[in-house]
Amino acid sequence: MRVGLGVLIVGVSILGAPALAGAQESRLVGRLPDDARRTVDSVLVAARTSGLPTEPLVDRALEGAAKGASGEVIVRAVTRLRDDLHLARLAFGDLATAAELTAGASALRAGASREDLAELRSLRPNQSLTIAAAVLADLVAVGVPTDTAVAAVLALARDAEDADYIAFRRNVQRDIALGASPAAALGVRLETADDLAGEAPTPGTGVGTPSGPRKRKP
Amino acid sequence: MAEHEETITHVVKALKEPVRLDPHFTRRVMSEIERLPVPGTRMSPLRSLIVWLRRRRTIRLSPLGALAMAAGVAMVVLAGSRLLAPSAGSDLLEDGTRGQPTQLMQFVLVAPGASSVALVGDFNDWNLSATPLVRAHGDGVWWVTVPLSPGRYRYSFVVDGSTWLVDPDAPAIEDEFGRENSLLTIGGA
Repeated sequence: MRVGLGVLIVGVSILGAPALAGAQESRLVGRLPDDARRTVDSVLVAARTSGLPTEPLVDRALEGAAKGASGEVIVRAVTRLRDDLHLARLAFGDLATAAELTAGASALRAGASREDLAELRSLRPNQSLTIAAAVLADLVAVGVPTDTAVAAVLALARDAEDADYIAFRRNVQRDIALGASPAAALGVRLETADDLAGEAPTPGTGVGTPSGPRKRKP
Repeated sequence: MAEHEETITHVVKALKEPVRLDPHFTRRVMSEIERLPVPGTRMSPLRSLIVWLRRRRTIRLSPLGALAMAAGVAMVVLAGSRLLAPSAGSDLLEDGTRGQPTQLMQFVLVAPGASSVALVGDFNDWNLSATPLVRAHGDGVWWVTVPLSPGRYRYSFVVDGSTWLVDPDAPAIEDEFGRENSLLTIGGA
């Protein structure tokens, strides 16, 4: 009897511990106001239950906390990202990875529609959508109109590898830095086969220093 | 007397009846015997350990003891999950792909008048003390190298603990908190 009770308690504790641990994100403790933290925790639990990735939600909350945002603003930002992740999953399908969903959410935030993302999925049925969706958001961030960026990413979707997308975005960004209009830079690069090969630009087509953080050899 | 003899006869007859044994009895007994050390020989430490581990025991636990044991197990489970889970500064990005080789990325900011510069982003829980930049030869150039996996990252520089700056060499996007973030997308190898 004593053993039976002990086993029961041990079993319940072992089974219950992860659930209790999962109910509270420890990284939020002390960084968010208590009310906001509880709300964000509940959003995280619901997201986890529905299969959405929670790490970007935690990141968003921590970002807001680091920037001194109010609890209300943080909760709003986290909730909005949760909604975007949900829409991204509707577009990409239930088998989409967390990375794809977070990239899709970025693309949605940049102005792409759910239908755009669904078309991207249909054009790349067996390839990761992470970099393609991320580059779409990046292009909008450097000033390319959303419709143009969507059209370009979809035009490359069938054949481009991730490295091609990265090279494409880098070259467009370089041309913009050199004075080209975002739409023109994108149009030129879209027609240039070299972009898909990821090769260095030829003289006269836009030579400049790499933008953004520089990659170093390990 | 004859009565006693008859009783004795019954008893003898009963004793002569073959004892019905479990059909697997012999095998079980021999198996147990085989496990016993041969007299005069020493079992190897490994064999001893195996025998000790396989010996059945009855363990009694009080509820208090069980709770203490459960707490211990829960701590081990939590510690293990914490070790395995993504941590601050890990390669999990907003759009990152875990498990792929990391690339060393150098972040540089020119801030001649600064006394400290920190890098914050999705890769370090936006922790102002996690990734400080170092000054290069006192000429106002600050830098740090961070291993990152393929994916998309949002980040910012924080100068002197309070001034938020975007990376002038990277695309930037408005955040949801009234500031801007720099963007970095890293492709796979």
